[in-house]
Amino acid sequence: MSFEIPFGPQHPALEEPINFMLEIEEERVVSVKPRLGYVHRGIEKIAESRNYQQLVYLSERICGICSFAHALCYSQTVEELLDLEVPERAKFIRTIIAEMERIQNHYLWLGLTAKEMGFETLFMYAWRDRERIIEMLDMISGKRVNYGMSTIGGVRRDITDSMVERIEESLKHLETRAEYYTKVCTKDPSILKRTVGVGILRPREARALCAVGPTARASGIARDIRADEPYAAYGEISFRVVTYRGCDVASRMYVRIDEIKESIRIIRYALKNMPEGPIRVKAPIKVPEGEAISRVEAPRGENLHFLKSNGSIKPERWKIRPPTLANLLSLCRMLIGVNLADVPVVIAGIDPCIACAERIALVDVKTKKREVWDGKDLWRYANEWYRKRYGL
Amino acid sequence: MAMEDDMFRNLKEKPITLQFPYERREPVEGIRAKVSWDIEKCIGCRLCVMICPGNAIQLIGKGRQAEIKYHVGRCIFCGECVDVCPTKSIYVTKEFELVFNNRRGMIIHFRRKKRKKTHSD
Amino acid sequence: MVSEEIWALIEIFVFPGFFFLFFLAFFTEWLDRKIVAKFQNRYGPLYVGPKGILQPIADFIKLLSKEDITPSMADKIPFSLMPILLLTLAITPLFCIPMIGSDALISFEGDLIVIMFIMSLIALLVFISGWASTNRFSSIGSIRAGLQMFAYEIPMNLAMIGPAISAGSLSVSTIVDWQIRGVWNIFIQPIGFAVLTICLMAHLQKVPFDIPEAESEIVSGWIVEFSGKKLALIRLAKDFEFVLASSLIVSLFLGGPYGPWYISPITYLAKFLLCVLMLSNLRAAFARYRIDHLLAGAWKYLTPLVLLQICLIKVLGV
Repeated sequence: MSFEIPFGPQHPALEEPINFMLEIEEERVVSVKPRLGYVHRGIEKIAESRNYQQLVYLSERICGICSFAHALCYSQTVEELLDLEVPERAKFIRTIIAEMERIQNHYLWLGLTAKEMGFETLFMYAWRDRERIIEMLDMISGKRVNYGMSTIGGVRRDITDSMVERIEESLKHLETRAEYYTKVCTKDPSILKRTVGVGILRPREARALCAVGPTARASGIARDIRADEPYAAYGEISFRVVTYRGCDVASRMYVRIDEIKESIRIIRYALKNMPEGPIRVKAPIKVPEGEAISRVEAPRGENLHFLKSNGSIKPERWKIRPPTLANLLSLCRMLIGVNLADVPVVIAGIDPCIACAERIALVDVKTKKREVWDGKDLWRYANEWYRKRYGL
Repeated sequence: MAMEDDMFRNLKEKPITLQFPYERREPVEGIRAKVSWDIEKCIGCRLCVMICPGNAIQLIGKGRQAEIKYHVGRCIFCGECVDVCPTKSIYVTKEFELVFNNRRGMIIHFRRKKRKKTHSD
Repeated sequence: MVSEEIWALIEIFVFPGFFFLFFLAFFTEWLDRKIVAKFQNRYGPLYVGPKGILQPIADFIKLLSKEDITPSMADKIPFSLMPILLLTLAITPLFCIPMIGSDALISFEGDLIVIMFIMSLIALLVFISGWASTNRFSSIGSIRAGLQMFAYEIPMNLAMIGPAISAGSLSVSTIVDWQIRGVWNIFIQPIGFAVLTICLMAHLQKVPFDIPEAESEIVSGWIVEFSGKKLALIRLAKDFEFVLASSLIVSLFLGGPYGPWYISPITYLAKFLLCVLMLSNLRAAFARYRIDHLLAGAWKYLTPLVLLQICLIKVLGV
């Protein structure tokens, strides 16, 4: 007897609305049909009526958790269009904030995956430890999310010496906690039973389906933009790209906890070797014509921004390819053959950020024609589809 | 099972929940909260109106007689207006607990002090 | 004599009867929430009453006042009847547990078997109420509840029979009496104690075995369609089951209401609190297992262990 269970858009396991129609036979998933579009906000359309400086703040608000990665990627794209060289100190500060955001994201992820498994205590502990890093970000930038630190031409605030001491204290505490979570996640029998062997993604499939971020690194593929195409100050800092070969949710967990430790090391090095100098250069308002792409390793994977400018103060086209959109195909492949009880765990395993992933573009495969729909077209299409399907 | 020792240690510690509003966390030094105007310094250059990403600032009048209407509901607390003002008449307050009873309360009107016209005969 | 009847009425309705049991159920829920919150570094209930002790009563009254919706496709008679039956069946075995003195309110030869039967019936009623809701999620929840019953039923009943074999009687009051004259069962049957605790966690549907009502997967499982008064009664029934589980552990393995202090209700409450502390600790320390892990684990480990325990009783002659 096969059920069709809708997973989402309203579900206690999901923070953001996304719909998967799962076909279940005897508690195993047989097929998956994802549906996006519940949280589409029209960001790429708004971009056509704002100037470049204002869009930095819009790019931060694409996602609440990986907000700095989007702002950084956008700033880098505009700087490439302007051919602007950012001062060294600004690059180091950008690196520090990006790594702090990575730590914050991975602690949040650990808590959420524990909650999906029913382990409330680990959830509370991970989020309690996350408060330490958020306090540091608050102290540096004045806000707990959407920091407003990156701007075209550098960063807006400096890291003073008194801040460095407090950051070092927090990092020490966070490192101890990360060691503790490694111990818990490798020894606790209930976590091991729920995550080992669940949600397998073979390396061949990961390569074919373009998995990015920790999802790919847990299948043994060493893909990391920070090492492949260094941006900001990553070219001068040596760090290890963490990979595991387990291909399951447990490996993704270990990859992320090890990345926390690597990030702490990177921040320490950057704080010690930060050069003196200005933190910002003035950027012109008008951007010359051209196209540019920039890639950044967001905490969830590879983030890509594309900007096309036509010489005025407002961009012509802004395209964002967030990491969750790239991992969605791998997710659908991973979910087949999984127990219904493990579906939230597997979905949480790729660290989904649906707010990032809402980008619609329609490509007609036969004629290779691209068209972009607005609200009226979607409404008309939806009405016709329902009328045809239900014979109304 | 692996968390037992940590759990028993937590039995002795105080909970880390802050009982708001009786216990609050102090806002940090550089907090990005609501902004405010020192209207006497404003010269009406309109730079803040042009830079605001959320269209939260409205200038009424011209030049040195200009008055500011600030829509708190549209403000995203980015601080660009503070950075760009040439006379430094915009400053950041520490108010972040912003609750209003109606939409009208969210528009703050910064008026200038009217100078008494002296009659000259 | 007239005063004897009045005394009996007081015993049934006030102490240790209905009023005391209702108070104990609410108190146990509050204690469980507070202990789990303490382990998790937060406060738990705080505002309603001193230290939040009236929170479960407030929740109960709030649920009673909410709208009661019956889905149009549900089986109306079982759907409306199950919460009442669950509550009744959860309270009934509590009258057979001795709380003051060595004689319970109702004690006869074989009341242990009645308690075991009522606990199986509760599991069956969980299945029926999920099935009668005709909702995808509750059907899955009730199937899981049925499967879970297959896993823990046999080890639990055998672990409860262990003390009965030692005491030579099937009445809980006699078992308590036997423990007072000898030594507490936990010292001579530790394996049975461990197995009974694990199986009671599965019966109560608490983490790590809260599979039928797994919140993050199937949105409350078999409870999902109940609302208003029915949900209030189901939650109260769960509290009573918790009281029943702790009382069973206290009576069968920890010597009932006798101990170092002479005032028996206080001894009983002290041991009861210890059991609640232990069960809440186990609840906070684990992730949720999958149903196939539970089935495999129960048949591979729990059942052989409890059979070993019964053989040991016969061999060692205790």
